[in-house]
Amino acid sequence: MNAIDKNNPSPEWIASLRKRFPTEKEMDRVLTRKLQRRSGPGYSPVSLETFCASLQSLLRAELKDPFEIREVRWLSGGASKLQVAFKLDWNQPGVGRTVTPMVIRMEPAESIVETSRLREFQIIKAVEEILPVPPVYWIDDEPQYFPYPTIIYGFAEGVVKPSGAGSNVSGLGIDFGPELRKVLGKQFVEHLAKLHTWDWSKANLSSLDVPPLGRRTFEMHLNWWRRVWEEDCNRDVPLLRFAANWLDNNMPAADRLSLIHGDYRAGNFLFTEHDQRISAWLDWELGHLGDFHEDVAYITRPDLSHFAEDGSTVLYSGMGTKEALYEAYEKATGFTINQKTIDYYHIFHMYRSAVIVIASGYRPACNGKTHQDILLTWIMGFGYLNLDLLRKMLEEVG
Amino acid sequence: MEVRPEIQIKVILKALTDVILPAVDPENKLAQEQTRLAIGTLQLVAKRLPIAYRYDRDELNRYVGFSKDLVAQVGKAADESAIADLKALAAHGSDVLDRARAEPAEMEKAIFDLRAMVGELIEAVHAGGDSTAQAAVRKLVLTMSKQELERERAAVVDMNWETDPRTHAPPIETQLPPVNA
Repeated sequence: MNAIDKNNPSPEWIASLRKRFPTEKEMDRVLTRKLQRRSGPGYSPVSLETFCASLQSLLRAELKDPFEIREVRWLSGGASKLQVAFKLDWNQPGVGRTVTPMVIRMEPAESIVETSRLREFQIIKAVEEILPVPPVYWIDDEPQYFPYPTIIYGFAEGVVKPSGAGSNVSGLGIDFGPELRKVLGKQFVEHLAKLHTWDWSKANLSSLDVPPLGRRTFEMHLNWWRRVWEEDCNRDVPLLRFAANWLDNNMPAADRLSLIHGDYRAGNFLFTEHDQRISAWLDWELGHLGDFHEDVAYITRPDLSHFAEDGSTVLYSGMGTKEALYEAYEKATGFTINQKTIDYYHIFHMYRSAVIVIASGYRPACNGKTHQDILLTWIMGFGYLNLDLLRKMLEEVG
Repeated sequence: MEVRPEIQIKVILKALTDVILPAVDPENKLAQEQTRLAIGTLQLVAKRLPIAYRYDRDELNRYVGFSKDLVAQVGKAADESAIADLKALAAHGSDVLDRARAEPAEMEKAIFDLRAMVGELIEAVHAGGDSTAQAAVRKLVLTMSKQELERERAAVVDMNWETDPRTHAPPIETQLPPVNA
């Protein structure tokens, strides 16, 4: 049997995938670009000097007045992008001479989650009127200045977890403790409600397609991840084939479209410890338009939960019981949650996670494409727990 | 199962070369030397791992032949019981060689091809199969996956993704039947 050489994708194979899995035009662009670049060089370490030189060129093109870059340093965290912090002494429009802490977020040669910087930029710009998000300043999407697509943010104050709290290598499973949980949990749900009830139609979200309402609302999005599986997987997994077909057969009808965060969880927001406020929502790269149930199901994923202090109450997203989260969300939005639709999206999230960690963890690491290949292969181990949860869910839904 | 030594060694080498070695104190000669030795050793392991089985098989084959030559040519001059032992061990070695004819890479490719073809069949049934065929696929896939995932979860249990030992799959050593079973 002749296997496809996925490390050197042919134009014919790329064309066949695009035809087989029609998805949003921006994601089609990003995924096609990923495949076209795959046979190129792997990731070579980028020095801070290179970052500075790239940043200098970008700022020279963007700013008229003199500026100075200071205190450039690496930031850790995240399996998918490289992050560098710096301070910019500049004449900020509307503000005047000031020093602004900022973050450069650059893709590696190929990422475990291949997404659009343009989309991330547009979504953050759009939601800054309703949610705390870091300001976004510049984007180098078809890289002219940086080695790979890059976005430049304002540095957001805050921490991901309370000082001294533990979590695993991916930042999942943060225990906020009983007091902080109560305060953050309320904001956690309120912010989600704000996002989902927000009228996105007037915002500049040109990089997002608007899916049709009804039974095929989810089709383009599901195709995104089915395509990623085909593009990246090494060994085939029968359970994932079956799950994709089940998801295709059982798409729930949607009667309204919300802006979906796509990765709404503890670990993806910052909070300030002194006043216990969520100060910034991060990681908007999986944002898209869809059924609000998708995010609601995400916050009650069984694998993003832990036990409360009593050792028996399950706290989803480290925030509250399923019932409490659903009740607060329904109250804040006026929406009614359909449990069957939640079950569908739970299965989707398990499917998507397995695609990401097993397929897209493997492929870039295999080709030496990232700064974190060793972390990617470590995360692959999570995929089997993920698959087992997916199997159990599929058995339960019958 | 994708968590395999080939890719793991590759990414360890990249981390050691790109990130760790440049960060090792240049004044700490021992640490510098041992980091470079670790890289060199792993490069050698990565290169030799694919032929390790072939190497062992060749070695066994040569020793079986050599033992038979010894028995034939000096058997009468040697201790009778030692010769009998050597004959028995050479016969056993021949038997092991007979049962070890596939290269590990062949076995891996056979699995890879079967998985791919199974995937195609599942897609074909989804696209055009009747409800009976689809129900059969569902049952077979879920049953097989349960067993497969017990093994896969056990194989990566030391990564600590599953924190509750009460729900761990049985240890992988107990799940895999002996090769000659």
